[in-house]
Amino acid sequence: MAQMIANAIRQAGTNFVDSLAVFLPRMVTTLAIIIVGWLIAMLLRTLVRGLLGWLRINVAAERFGVAALLRTADLPPADALIGATVFWLVWIGFLISGIDVLGFESLQGLLESFWAFVPRLLLAVIILIIGLVVANFAWRATLLAAVNARVPSPRLLSGAVRWLILILAGAMALEQIAVARSVVLTAFAIAFGALSLAVAIAFGIGGGGIAKRILEHQFPEQQRSSADEISHL
Amino acid sequence: MSLPMPVPTTARQPLWYKDAVIYQLHVKTFADSNGDGIGDFRGLSSKLNYLADLGVTCLWLLPMYPSPFRDDGYDIADYYSIHPSYGTLDDFREFLEAAHTRRLQVVTELVLNHTSDQHTWFKEARMSRNNPRRDWYVWSDTDDKYRGVRIIFIDTERSNWAWAPESKAYYWHRFFSHQPDLNYDNPAVREEMWNVMRFWLGLGVDGFRVDAVPYLIEREGTSCENLPETHDVVKFLRANLAEHFPDRMLLADANQPPELVRPYFSEGDEFHMAFHFPLMTRMFMAVRLEDRKPLVEVIERTPEIPETCQWGIFLRNHDELTLEMVSDVERAYMIDEYARDPASRIYLGIRRRLAPLLDGDRRRIELMNGLLMSMPGSPIIYYGDEIGMGDNIYLGDRNGVRTPMQWNGGWNAGFSTADPERLAQPQISNHQFCYQARKGESQTRADHSLLNWMRRLISVRQSTAVFSRGTTTFLMPANHRVLAYLRSLGREQVLCVYNLSNSAQAVELDLQSLAGAVPIEMFGRSLFPRIGELPYMLTLEPYAFFWFRLRRL
Amino acid sequence: MVSVASDSLLSDELLHHLMAVGHVDVLVGVPTLNNASTIRSVVKAVHQSFARYFPRDRTVLINSDGGSDDGTPNMVRQHGSTDDTDTVTVSHSLRTVHRISTPYHGVPGKGNALRQIMTAAELTQARAVAILNADVTGITAEGIAALVRPVRDQQYDYVAPVYQRHPLDGPLVTQLIRPLMRAAYGWQVREPVAPEFGCSSRFITHCLEQDVWDTELGRVGIDLWVTGEALARGFRSCQAGLTPHPPGPPRASFGELFEQVVRSSFDCLERHAPYWLERNGSEPMAVVSPPPPTPVEPPTVAGSRLTEAFARDIENLRSVLEYILSAETLSTLERVASRQGAHLRFPDELWVSTVYEFLLAYRSGVMRRDHVVQALAPLYLGRTGSFLRQYSGAPEEVVEEALESLCRDFERSKPDLIERWNKSLR
Repeated sequence: MAQMIANAIRQAGTNFVDSLAVFLPRMVTTLAIIIVGWLIAMLLRTLVRGLLGWLRINVAAERFGVAALLRTADLPPADALIGATVFWLVWIGFLISGIDVLGFESLQGLLESFWAFVPRLLLAVIILIIGLVVANFAWRATLLAAVNARVPSPRLLSGAVRWLILILAGAMALEQIAVARSVVLTAFAIAFGALSLAVAIAFGIGGGGIAKRILEHQFPEQQRSSADEISHL
Repeated sequence: MSLPMPVPTTARQPLWYKDAVIYQLHVKTFADSNGDGIGDFRGLSSKLNYLADLGVTCLWLLPMYPSPFRDDGYDIADYYSIHPSYGTLDDFREFLEAAHTRRLQVVTELVLNHTSDQHTWFKEARMSRNNPRRDWYVWSDTDDKYRGVRIIFIDTERSNWAWAPESKAYYWHRFFSHQPDLNYDNPAVREEMWNVMRFWLGLGVDGFRVDAVPYLIEREGTSCENLPETHDVVKFLRANLAEHFPDRMLLADANQPPELVRPYFSEGDEFHMAFHFPLMTRMFMAVRLEDRKPLVEVIERTPEIPETCQWGIFLRNHDELTLEMVSDVERAYMIDEYARDPASRIYLGIRRRLAPLLDGDRRRIELMNGLLMSMPGSPIIYYGDEIGMGDNIYLGDRNGVRTPMQWNGGWNAGFSTADPERLAQPQISNHQFCYQARKGESQTRADHSLLNWMRRLISVRQSTAVFSRGTTTFLMPANHRVLAYLRSLGREQVLCVYNLSNSAQAVELDLQSLAGAVPIEMFGRSLFPRIGELPYMLTLEPYAFFWFRLRRL
Repeated sequence: MVSVASDSLLSDELLHHLMAVGHVDVLVGVPTLNNASTIRSVVKAVHQSFARYFPRDRTVLINSDGGSDDGTPNMVRQHGSTDDTDTVTVSHSLRTVHRISTPYHGVPGKGNALRQIMTAAELTQARAVAILNADVTGITAEGIAALVRPVRDQQYDYVAPVYQRHPLDGPLVTQLIRPLMRAAYGWQVREPVAPEFGCSSRFITHCLEQDVWDTELGRVGIDLWVTGEALARGFRSCQAGLTPHPPGPPRASFGELFEQVVRSSFDCLERHAPYWLERNGSEPMAVVSPPPPTPVEPPTVAGSRLTEAFARDIENLRSVLEYILSAETLSTLERVASRQGAHLRFPDELWVSTVYEFLLAYRSGVMRRDHVVQALAPLYLGRTGSFLRQYSGAPEEVVEEALESLCRDFERSKPDLIERWNKSLR
């Protein structure tokens, strides 16, 4: 009995030692991969930030209104944000590779699905960024045009335009990463419909007047605004 | 008064003056035969071969009558004889005969408007108010009659009235105060003038250049120029001429715009010819502006004249280059461009000869003469201009352009054997234009001389009647530096193209209506490409010109 | 015939015309686009000016047309000479007067028309060139002569017009462009954005060498650029009276006009920054022939109509303005805006810093440039309305003095602008 126990223990010990002999190198490898990955990710982040700084991405972000959105969301400036994203993507990649080396059955395939997920995530982010840019541009263009054309409630109008585009972009981004498709679809339909209705009602109430003014702006010969009454030059 | 024996003349062609090339000269300064420093008829007779060789067909003599010479002979003291310095009436008769044998017609001066104050008529008239000659002149007790009439010699005269102390009255004069105007309201004066004409026509003179025509009659409230009564005087003289001497010619000196000269042709019953003053000014203007506009304008403004009439056209004459009849802008331009030196200005004009006006530039001298010989009218050459003679603007009045003819490099340029200081006028000594540089007889021998070029030009002109009698149609190519016109007479057509500018020019002429014709350059008889439907392209050197005879070959 | 010049500036036809024209002394250029109602009087004035003032000169009128469909080019070609209306002896061109009407190629816009005229002027070696505005009928022979003479007789290279007009007229010029250009370039030009000007062949050669022609500035803002270029490159410039000021019918709505003019002026300043950053103060520019004094009517618009919407506009645009304006300027602006209607007073200093900050924002690209300019329009209307109301009924001298004072305020704040310009992005 004791012998069995001893054997078992020895066996276990041997097994443990064996396992350890098998696991320890893996462990070391994993740690090495993670550390090296961290270093590489840090390096890449620095490189990317340098590159983006050289490309004056912050100016562009400012210009297209992305920077403003980032500020509102308490996010770092565009170059830092992209740098951080690169860092995390790369390091997570290394992290998963490292864990994979450990050979846990349950964690098998994680790497594969991660690498399969990254492009879609990137695409979604790009869609979102484009959406942000377009929304912001359309918002400002609408606001300025509406103010200068003396259309009432320019902020409501431009805000509606901006949110419509943002929701559309958000939905498209979520669609890309395929998170709960039906939920996204439904949510989008509800939100978009609601906004459209709101705009429709808003226009409907002020309807006649707005339509008239828009038409006036379309055909300026028929009536000029007060600004056109004097010779400015 | 007995009429002198007529000189036998060559048969005058009808309308001979229409085909004439006239040479204007002053007996006083042309050639001196007796060494007294003053030219005379014998001298002139000895130079007739030179003139005949030049190709001219008619001589126009400046006044040769007895005169105190206060206006270079235009102040006549006796209408019936020759100034003694120039010779005798017999000398004149011999000259006339010699000229006619060389087929040269002779035109003399008829100074109708006024006489010298030394003329016996005036001497008598001014003595008393009831002298029978009194009425031959225009008198007034005050000097404010005919107010507002312009004064012609604004540099020397303040008024058109002058005081005659003997009879305590004012007499009228449009020119100098020593040139009292005759009173043509008096029929006796008209009759007397016809007698004068008959005298010279009887001798064989072929025509008269009638001086100062517009001023014959005065009427209150008018400009006293071009009055209807003036035309009556002319008609009277012409009618007599037509009756007694139908083949003789009257040439009007009327410095007026062409539309105001036109009445002097009337229906062909006043003058045969009249000077075209504005054309002269415009030719100089066009070449300076390098723009054909002034020339085209003046020709288009020129009215049609009767079939028997002709314009007398000229570049220069014994007077100043007159700027009376141009606009202020034009006058200012001409003065600035052609008379920078104030000494060259006199009255409202420029006292210069052709060559100095054109800086002695042979190309421009040729261009201007080319224009003269192809424009509608009978060309008049002022003596000396055919050899590019110079002038001396410091000789006073207009004497600078009346210096002796330069014949050769000898004593007094061959004009006279007198001492140089005795000469009627001093010779030109400026080295560019002096007789050593410009002289008639030695130019005869140099093929490339201006004189020989002028001979060729005249002979080419005289080779066809199209220049003297043809119609003129302007072509208006886009390039305004090129003047082009078509002279046509019946089937005969000549195309004249001038580059008025100092740079080479290309021009495209629209000659569609002449398609098929072959242009033959008239000086060298060179063939040019046949005219087609496309614009006819020509290139011209600076100041170059072409005369093309267009032939259907 | 095959055209070998299909992509060159000058058509074969125009070259052909120019060959006939040869060298000229005075060239008058008239860019047109559908000016049938006014072109006759312009051509007539040009001819009168040639006849009365340049009778000896070689002259040409070149009309560069942008493809009018109302027969403008034919009206230029067929216009009878004015000789028949003037006495021949009084005024008469001694020379052939050439008149050319030719279409220009490339992008429609005044820039290409001007470029073609300038190229023609260079080819014909024109001594003096005047560019006219075909939109108006008020141009006179005297006005044209005034533009030409300083170049022809006094060796000036550029002549800007001076209009005889009421100081309350043309507020875009008096409130914005004039003071801005004056402060920047250091020259007191009254009408920097005039469509008429005179210039020398030297200046034209210089202009043709610049790379402005294919830009947006060249297309819509060439008038302003020409002024700026003359000042910035040290060409000898002066002003000459053009009378009376011809108020043309507005061809574009206020919005379009404002955007074009303001964008052009900002673009100009950007191009010429190396010049004006070094310059301080301003010098008066000689007025060679002042316009003859003719009484002028003040404009009739009540300023209050322009300021009605001011407060609301500021509120609406706040989220845009905060990118453009400094916090201090924006808050001052909001304070000013809160005083409604008839009480609105838009102070000079605030207007100066507003304009300068817009210029800086335009340059640094905080947003699309047209958005920057569009955001300035309501502020300009507010300022203009405030000014018009404050000075309506005031004597002309008082208004002139107020405008002069505004110009001086622009000059006074320029060092600050230069500092921020040099510090800002880029």
